[in-house]
This record gives sequence, structure tokens and C-alpha cells, in this order.
Amino acid sequence: MTNKRFKNFAFDAATIGLVLVYLFPIIWLYSASLKPTTDIVGAPFDLLPRSVTLSNFTRMWNAVGFQDALRNSLVVALATAVVVTSIALLAAFSLSRFRYRLQGVFATTILAMQMLPGIVMVVPLIVILRRMNLTDNILGLMITYLLLGLPVAVWMLKGYMDEIPPALDEAAMIDGATDWQVLTRIIIPLMAPATVAVAAFTFMLAWGEYLFALSLMTSTESKTLPLALQAALGRYTIDWGMLTAGGVLISIPPTILFIYFQRYLLGGLTSGSVKG
Amino acid sequence: MGSRRSAAGYLFFAPALIVFLLVGLYPILYQIYLSFTDWYLLRSLTPVWYGLDGYKRLLADTVLWESFLRTIIWTVGTVALEFVIGLLFALLLNRRSRINAILSGLILLPWVAPSIVVAYTWRWLLDGQYGALHQVLYQFGLVGERSLLVDPSLALLAVTAVSAWKGAPFMTIALLATLKSIPEELYEAAAVDGANLWNQFRFITFPLLIPVSVVMSLILGVLAFYSFDLVWIMTKGGPTDATLLLGVYLFRQFFERNELSYAATIGVAMLLLLLAFSSVYLGLLRKRQTA
Repeated sequence: MTNKRFKNFAFDAATIGLVLVYLFPIIWLYSASLKPTTDIVGAPFDLLPRSVTLSNFTRMWNAVGFQDALRNSLVVALATAVVVTSIALLAAFSLSRFRYRLQGVFATTILAMQMLPGIVMVVPLIVILRRMNLTDNILGLMITYLLLGLPVAVWMLKGYMDEIPPALDEAAMIDGATDWQVLTRIIIPLMAPATVAVAAFTFMLAWGEYLFALSLMTSTESKTLPLALQAALGRYTIDWGMLTAGGVLISIPPTILFIYFQRYLLGGLTSGSVKG
Repeated sequence: MGSRRSAAGYLFFAPALIVFLLVGLYPILYQIYLSFTDWYLLRSLTPVWYGLDGYKRLLADTVLWESFLRTIIWTVGTVALEFVIGLLFALLLNRRSRINAILSGLILLPWVAPSIVVAYTWRWLLDGQYGALHQVLYQFGLVGERSLLVDPSLALLAVTAVSAWKGAPFMTIALLATLKSIPEELYEAAAVDGANLWNQFRFITFPLLIPVSVVMSLILGVLAFYSFDLVWIMTKGGPTDATLLLGVYLFRQFFERNELSYAATIGVAMLLLLLAFSSVYLGLLRKRQTA
């Protein structure tokens, strides 16, 4: 028994040790963001800061363009989350509850869209948006994020909707409910947490997106947070303290959202991608 | 009921279909058209029909072919490392233990972090002047004065490792979910028959992990093959093209050289490769479903 307990303890210790080594860059990023610049450069091996300061965060906060970028990122990520989740709920409802001839084609379309990498779409999308005068424009950026966010959202929501027994819909329809009422009054309330989780995931995708933001948002006022961080690297002599603070600020929202919703997201993501 | 139901089905799918047609299909067709034109922004404001010349250029472009080979090395390297890290953590975290529930969540952090943050953190860790990791590697004589990221012979290895570091959690959770679905009785029966831990792994765990490993490797392989962010932010494809991947090359042609048509030609070629990848993927899925 004691032997088994020792074995468990040894395994726990080894697991914690390896996870810490693996997470070392992240732990270090968070720790450095709280260090005074002299310690970042002078004592880079201290995992815990010797003295704690928030000055890196205030410098980042007051850096040129940072607050604009924060607002742009919030707007584009929130708008994308709302639009994608709404369209995806309707599409998931259609795939989950109706039978029609092109259904298989539509489902395949969503799968195909999910496999489209941003880099092979960037040339035509940017050229089209340039022609429509939608560069340096939040709406233009959001349009590209529909392509990135919609397929995953449809897939995850369809998975959750399939778990709700259709008998519930039928009972409501006998009572005279329309399709729209079935969706909005019965199905969505039953899967509200999963719906919010999918919206959160879409928010994360848009929040951290780099390629399309880089290609579309070139003026200082229109930059999103990843671009503002990049601009901060170029503009000043490298201020690692400020950059680490910026990195932490950008990481916090997706990290919190993901940890909070991971129960819903992990199942959906792995089954969506593995089961197909 | 029948026809009304089917009309409503189309109606509810319509918004998603419109998005697909306008933001997915139309740009793809437009890109195919562009690939047959000559559109160099400094020369003309509109595309000029060019026939197959773009594709001839592509076939003769040695920088492109070198990037293609480099991208294959990067993809295989990334996926192999992701598998090793993912398997190690999946096995460790599969043990029933209170701490493992917390650690399984924490391990996802690199995957959740935006690529700009990951790229900068590693750039900074590997910085030739201030980087802590660089100093450790230097003490062990593994690197010289210069950062790994500016060393033409080692930069590709360094960015590949970073890419695997970021992607590994996805492999971990997929393997972990499969491990948890293996019935305990299998191991008990094997233990009764005298199989030690290694044999249990070799004859029970590993064979059962193969299907999910293959599918995940394909998904992560496609992600790696078409990636752009990490490398662009860390090295921009340098030093002297040492980390020039296909995606980075496409972006350079498009954004820095203003060669819109040629970038579109590369995009179409990459799409054709994707078609090949996805038919393999769908074939595997079908095999799994019938098996």
C-alpha cells in the first residue's frame, strides 16, 4: 500500500515537473511582465519576480495606438462572435432537424470550408476587399473572420443540437409552435451554455487572428491588438518589459474564456475534427 | 409536412450558404482566374490575361521548390514532435489523480495563446543578447554567440520546435480522450496474464491509439503545412530563406513584391495540394466508419 502511495506520489511529482517545464515560456512571460526592466535584462533566470511592478502595463497601455487597438479588437471579436453564432445556429438547426435533398451537399460544404486554410484565401479575399474599399475597415476584417469561424461553429452547435431529442420539437409543434419558435424557445434555451461557449470560441479566433488583420488593417487607427504589439516592437528600441505586458494583456481574455468553457469546447472540438 | 419541412430546411441554411458562396467559393474562383493573368501592381492596375505562363513560372521557380521541400520537412518535424509530446503528456495525465484534472486544463495554454504572443515570447527567450534559453544553450555549447533564429543552419529547427510546442496540446487532448475510453478490464486481464507495463502499452494502448493518431497527424499536418503566423513573426522566412515556407513565400509575393497574379498561382497550387490531403483524410474517415 505504501509502495503504491509512493508510486502515485512519484508519478504526480514527475507530471507536475514536466508540465512546468513545458509551460515554462508562459510562466516566464507572466512573471517578466511584472518585473522592472532592469531585472528582465539583468536577472532573466528568476522565475518569480524579485520586485513586482505594474509599470510595464502602464507603458503598454499608454503606448501609441494601444487603446485604439484594444477597442478595434473588442469590436471585431464581439461582432464576429454574434454574427457567426447566429448564422451557425440557423445552419445547425437546418442540418440537425430537417431532411431535404441538398442536405448532404451542404454538410460537405461546411466540412470543406473548415479545411480551407487562411493563407490560400488571403490573395483573392484581400483583392476583393480592396476593390470594395473595405481595407482598414472593421467590417471588411469581420467578413474574412466569417470564413474562419463559421464552419467550426456550425459543427459544434450541430453536435449539441443532435443530442436534444426531436420528440421535444414534435410535442411543441403539435401545440402549434412554428419552426422558429421551436428553435428560439425550446432548442436554444436548452443548449444555452454550449451556444455561449461556441460564441466565446469564435471570439477567441477573431481576437488573436493575425494574417488577415496584417493584410487588411494597415493604418495606425485600424490596427488590432496583435498588430499594435508588433508595431510596439518596431517603433521603440526593444522594450521587452512593455512587450511582455502586452503579450499578457492579449493572452488573458482567450485564456480565461477557454478555461471557463473548456468542458464544452474540448468535446466539440475533438469530436468535430476526429469524427468528421 | 414533407415539402414545408424541406423548404424551411433550405431557408434556415440560407445565411450560411450565402457566406460560403461569397466568402468561400467566389474568392476561390477569382483566385483561379487571377492565376491565369499577369497582374503586377507596379505595372498595371488591372489583371491582364496571361494564360498558363504563371504556371510555367511556378514550375521553373527554384526558390518555390526549395520552399516546398522545406515546408514538408517543417510539417513532418512539427507533427512528429507534437506526437511525441502529446503521447507523453496523454499517458501521464491519464492516471487517475486529483492534480491531473487541473494539469489537463493548464497544458492547453500554449494552444490557446495567440500566435503573436507565442512568437514574441520565443523570440525573446532565444534572443542572442537577453534570451534566458539562449544563455542556457550557450553555456552548454549548443549554440554560438548568435541566436538560433539568425543561424541559417539551425533556424528551421528552432521554429519547428516552437510550432510543435504550440500545437502539441491539441494532440494531447485527442490522445487523452481515446486513452480514457479504453476499458480498464483490458489492462486487468493483461496483468493477470503476466503482461508488464511495457507490454500492456505495446499490445493494448498503442494499437488502440493508432487510428486517432493518424487522423490527428493529418489534421495537424495540414495546419502546419499551411501555417504562416509563427514563422513570419519570428523570422520573416530568414535568415537567407532558411525558414522560407510556402505560405511565407506566397505572402511575400503578394504583399512585398505586389505580384498579385503569381501569389494567386501559388495559392491555387496550394489548394490543389489541399484537395489531395483532404481526399486522404476523408478516405480514412470512411474506412474508420465502416470498420
